[in-house]
Amino acid sequence: MGKKLLCVLLAVLLVTAVFAAGKKDAAASQSTGEAVGYTYGLDKTFYSEQPVTYSMFFSDASWYPMKDEWKTEGVFAEITKKTNVTLDIRSFDSGDYTNKIKLDINAGNSAYIIPKVYEEGPFVDGGAVVAVSDYVQYMPNYMDFYTKYNMANDLDTIVRSDGKYYRLPGMLEAAMQDYTIMIRDDIFKAAGYDVSKLEKDWTWESLYDILVGVKKYMVSKGMCEADDYIWSDLWCGSESGQGKGGNLLKLMGASYGVPSGWAVGNGMQYNRDKDEWYFASTSKDYKDFVTLVNKFVKGGILDPETFTQSDSVATAKFYNGETVLMSVNRGQYQTWISGLDAGKVGKGNYSVYVTVYPKGTNKYAAENSRLENGVMIAEKARKELGEDGFIKMLRFVDWLWYSKEAYTLHKWGVEGKTFQYVTDAATGLKVKKLMPGFKCGGLGIGGAETDEDIRLKWGFAGGNFYYGHTVAEMGDNFIPVIQDYYARLGKYRESRPVNPPVKSTEDENEQLNLWTTPLIDNVNAWTLQFVTGQKDISKDWDAYVASCKNLNSEKVVALINEINKRK
Amino acid sequence: MIVYRKILIIERKFKIKGTAQNMDTKNQKMQNQGNQLTSGRGAINRRMGMAKHLKQNWQLYSFMLVPIVYYIIFRYVPMAGNIIGFRRYRAGSSIFGDEWSGLKYFKQFISDQSFWRAFRNTLSLNIVYLLFRFPMTLIFALLLNEIRNIHWKKFVQTVSYLPHFISVVIVTGMIRELISANGPLNRIITYFGGDVTYFIALPEWFMTIFVVSGLWQSLGWGTILYLAAMSNISPNLYEAAEIDGANHFQRVWHITIPSILPTITTLLILDVGGLVGSGMAFEKVYLLYNPMIYETADIISTYVFRMGLDSGNYSYATGVGLFEGLINLVLLTIANVTSKRITNSGLW
Amino acid sequence: MRESQGYRIFQGFNRVLMVLICIATLYPFLYLIAQSFSSESAIIQGKVNIIPVEFNLTTYISVLSQGDFLRSYKNTVVYALCGTIASLFFTSIVAYPLSKPHLRLNKFITPFIIFTMYFGGGLIPNYVLMVNLGLKNTIAGFVLPGMIGTYYVLLMKAFFAGTPQELEEAGEIDGLNKFGIFFRIVLPLSKPIIATMVLFYAVGYWNNWFTSYLYLDERPMWPVAYYLRTIISGASTSADPGEVTAEKMQIGANIKSCSMLLMALPIICVYPFVQKYYVQGMMLGGIKE
Repeated sequence: MGKKLLCVLLAVLLVTAVFAAGKKDAAASQSTGEAVGYTYGLDKTFYSEQPVTYSMFFSDASWYPMKDEWKTEGVFAEITKKTNVTLDIRSFDSGDYTNKIKLDINAGNSAYIIPKVYEEGPFVDGGAVVAVSDYVQYMPNYMDFYTKYNMANDLDTIVRSDGKYYRLPGMLEAAMQDYTIMIRDDIFKAAGYDVSKLEKDWTWESLYDILVGVKKYMVSKGMCEADDYIWSDLWCGSESGQGKGGNLLKLMGASYGVPSGWAVGNGMQYNRDKDEWYFASTSKDYKDFVTLVNKFVKGGILDPETFTQSDSVATAKFYNGETVLMSVNRGQYQTWISGLDAGKVGKGNYSVYVTVYPKGTNKYAAENSRLENGVMIAEKARKELGEDGFIKMLRFVDWLWYSKEAYTLHKWGVEGKTFQYVTDAATGLKVKKLMPGFKCGGLGIGGAETDEDIRLKWGFAGGNFYYGHTVAEMGDNFIPVIQDYYARLGKYRESRPVNPPVKSTEDENEQLNLWTTPLIDNVNAWTLQFVTGQKDISKDWDAYVASCKNLNSEKVVALINEINKRK
Repeated sequence: MIVYRKILIIERKFKIKGTAQNMDTKNQKMQNQGNQLTSGRGAINRRMGMAKHLKQNWQLYSFMLVPIVYYIIFRYVPMAGNIIGFRRYRAGSSIFGDEWSGLKYFKQFISDQSFWRAFRNTLSLNIVYLLFRFPMTLIFALLLNEIRNIHWKKFVQTVSYLPHFISVVIVTGMIRELISANGPLNRIITYFGGDVTYFIALPEWFMTIFVVSGLWQSLGWGTILYLAAMSNISPNLYEAAEIDGANHFQRVWHITIPSILPTITTLLILDVGGLVGSGMAFEKVYLLYNPMIYETADIISTYVFRMGLDSGNYSYATGVGLFEGLINLVLLTIANVTSKRITNSGLW
Repeated sequence: MRESQGYRIFQGFNRVLMVLICIATLYPFLYLIAQSFSSESAIIQGKVNIIPVEFNLTTYISVLSQGDFLRSYKNTVVYALCGTIASLFFTSIVAYPLSKPHLRLNKFITPFIIFTMYFGGGLIPNYVLMVNLGLKNTIAGFVLPGMIGTYYVLLMKAFFAGTPQELEEAGEIDGLNKFGIFFRIVLPLSKPIIATMVLFYAVGYWNNWFTSYLYLDERPMWPVAYYLRTIISGASTSADPGEVTAEKMQIGANIKSCSMLLMALPIICVYPFVQKYYVQGMMLGGIKE
């Protein structure tokens, strides 16, 4: 009797095994089409026959806070309508988002889908996230973009020491230099400078001379005093600049070939010719760079408070006409316009020009990465969903972030409800336009007070989903001013080739982190003191270099080059 | 308070009446105990004593049951997690770490400059704060004690307690507003011809900001214990001194201060014992500091928080935390013992 | 009763000093009040001191009509209420037996709880515990971590130790068991310390932002202290590139001031009236003599 039972059991097991194996192959072998229980594919809508739920972290920005309506009729509801997938949202305030997901992931409490990840390093070593590079073959939209736009080199920059990468990055067809400098064209022209003619080859030095001229003009017209600053910038202060010098130092540093400001990273730069890394923050280029910035400050042009003040103080000065140039990005262009209208300058009393910002020793734009923040997938998901369920989820992720259909959906909303296609008079092409009665801060599309903001109300054009994709897709909401800027940018500037990755092991990573954190704190502190004139560049430079060496800068260089040789 | 006083009087009367009865029962109890002790089987009796003791007092002990469970779950269980200071912790895998790393992390932070910087900052901020707060609180208490008008005294006290009740989020918000570029402090500076100073970004100003705001928040509250001690001083002493011809200041110097010396000593010793502790200041520093002033603003607890969360190195961070906790414990124990020896009172 | 010249001068000086102290203490509040009633442009132009410039109520109206602020306010009230009741209950029932010298186990229990004042589990173990108990985003998750404050246990213990034994014995003779004695005799006598505890705990819960930072993720659950932090503390201390924080809405100083004041208001209104009690409570239960 026992033997019989055993045989039956064995038989059942065998049959099940065959079935299971067969199922797996069926699901995995197709790159588009039908899989068991759902449809997916390139340019196809993901749809799950059975309703399914995936947990997802969400970065909740306080300037468009998440509302319940997003789930009942907004972006989340629309996603569910199309795909039959419900997202179990776990949101955190955007300011604390990175810390909070670190906390949860490290406590073993991760959600399946983790968006808005800029640096995946700390998570990889713990084994909490999946090496997505092993699975991208199952993701048709992702692979399509990857091959069509030759993303291999770019993806290589996020490959780790085990040859895999752990983040599904936003992929851009071309690097977008989003941040630049906006000037008060009316004042510049009155002072005799037509920037549109000058910007093609202008350097920071020539900008300096222009600004000296502009200031002289302003003083002569009584528009400002001789000891007033005419440039006081935002995004560089102790808040949004994060004590690194923020946006301006990033732009100016990049034009001198050194990482600084927001982009300081670990201060290392790669010398392509020598195939060697060096510590850029103590290099001659860096010295030239801080000298340059300091020149603007010393010359009474650039307000040193730029590097400490809050953004609202800087914008107020611009809106009140005290300053004549300020940084801008495409997202905030409209905001600056509104501010100028409402401020002392007043509507109709000014004209602005979005410049292609000056060159330094190179004509690279600061942005050279075609990768943006991305999505990580928790190991937990693979464990709990099983291989098939996991691949199914990945195909959903593929649709949500990489398909054209989903991009339009979470960016513009629903055709006929929030947007429509109209034929553009000038080009004869079909373009998207928001339906009457709607506006969107996230897309830079203004409107009347009474218009509904589709981002505020329904969560469309929100940062958790809206990034990446082709130039055409990204630009479908650009106003003519911005389109013109990008056209000029493409003509006058280039993208710096990306640095190769540093594939460090877990222990090496740990060591590098321990060294670079205090080292870069030191670099940032000194940099700000140099540019604002608190420390004298000529006199104190050596002390600065010594302080960096004291904080292991040479050890960092040695270790990174050692890793680099390994490849 | 009035009710309390009345009951006190009543039961004093009661005491006189009932004393005799109580004495009898007490005597009987003592006799019983005496019998037990002389019965020769010492060990067994003591064990029976415990069981009996529990039986007798089970009600009172049961009061403590739930709280003790609370302490075990919410205080002691997480304490076990400190073990990751000695083990390599990886995100997502075992919360007790993967493998033993011994003293690796301890060695690492001992050789880490930033740790010692945080240690130094903790000490110097605490010491300077103490140097100001201690005498100022005492003097303020003495001055308050001199106020004749009861209503005015109460008013000043009430006002001075206010900052203590304000959330640290609001206090740091106030600080930011007051020292901002177009805030009142800078406006005064520019009025007198100085330059606008962005205090929040300058390392050399952090200690001042920390100490001054700390004083603002705690000066009034700190006087409570002193005033309590002062109110316990018998007025007879003052009258006697006045008769002897002592003027007011002499009375304060020779009577008030010596009488509250135990309180002063205890508080001082306990404060000194807490000099390495940075837990209390964590929230304030965390909400105020930024990378530009880590040099003077980073204290041990914020350092631990940053290293733990930002670089994901929890084992390292836990090691540092353990180190601080240990030193804290040692110092405070010494302080408490000293305080008890000298003035007979302490924290426990 | 003849007071010396010097003493009178001193009194005058003292009066002036006290006035200055009061002004210094109140000034930040006055500044906030002025800001909250001023227009944003006036603030940026630096015109505002303790008098509002371009007085208007729009800031208050907009803050109070904003769903998020009100909801977080409501949350705070609920959390503080639940928390204070729970804390009061559990703190007192552990402090009372500890105040009885004849209980032998106290020798062990007292150090047992005091030890936790110095050593804790650290961030991650506590967090993991709360997650595994399923307490994230629950009221219990907010209340439990700080529910029993050891320092307050010691305060109550000292107070209870000071209550006269005779009353309790009288109760015993009357036939009450220990529970009865505690609830019917001791507690009513302990109004000062109870008032003190209520105030301290309530204020503690009201002002707490860090616990909600850890355990109350969802916006609808935020208490007002955490909500304030998200609009006041500008910097994101995480590794995000500044671009993220750069987009942050410019929150006007008038809105910040208004929110801060509204948060502090209930406490400011309540504490003077309870002052009598907590001063007593501190005295009676203060440092053990």
